[in-house]
Amino acid sequence: MSFREKIHWVTLVTMIAAFGWYFLAYPWGIAASPAGLWASAGMLLPVTVAIIIAMTIASAWMAIRTPAEANLKEDERDRSIHYRGTHYAYYPLVVGVWVSIFALFWNAGPAVQLNLLLAAVVLAELMRIGVQLYLYRRGWHG
Amino acid sequence: MARLPFSNDIRTLRFLAGEMTQAELGERVGVTRQTIAAIEQGKYSPSLEVAFRIARTFGKPLEQVFGWDEEGR
Repeated sequence: MSFREKIHWVTLVTMIAAFGWYFLAYPWGIAASPAGLWASAGMLLPVTVAIIIAMTIASAWMAIRTPAEANLKEDERDRSIHYRGTHYAYYPLVVGVWVSIFALFWNAGPAVQLNLLLAAVVLAELMRIGVQLYLYRRGWHG
Repeated sequence: MARLPFSNDIRTLRFLAGEMTQAELGERVGVTRQTIAAIEQGKYSPSLEVAFRIARTFGKPLEQVFGWDEEGR
């Protein structure tokens, strides 16, 4: 397994754990109130810090174990896989934005809209990483 | 998975080049070992530039490394 693929696995697991906790633990009962927005802010802070710490530690650990692979530049297959993943991530992002636009007309509060947009970004990221991991496993850029 | 419409003799050429490893070939060509493995297994079609670089590494013309596979079309 290449260094980039390992990094993708770490990112996938970290994002699922961090944002899984966020969406499960979020106090949905107060989402419509102004306090819901502050709850999001308060919860996003540890989520962001946890992701940064986990990624930094995992990247450093893997780079120390396989320095030669860590220093390799992205080649044409890596780039093709990257582009394909980003392409598929566009769809959940667009759907999420449209759902957020419709939510505006249903008088959804700012915290609900924030969480809808956040969910769209998280789903898009999971789609991007998932597609890239699938293509890395398959070996072919598609 | 659909097969690519061409085959290659990279494995044989590596053997004839003194059992050159995929990592060594990748280093000379400028791609990762995993990319060489994917090309060898017919899972990834390289760019024309990488194809030429592989052929030049073995000192062969392109058509002696890659061949059109009618059955794979």
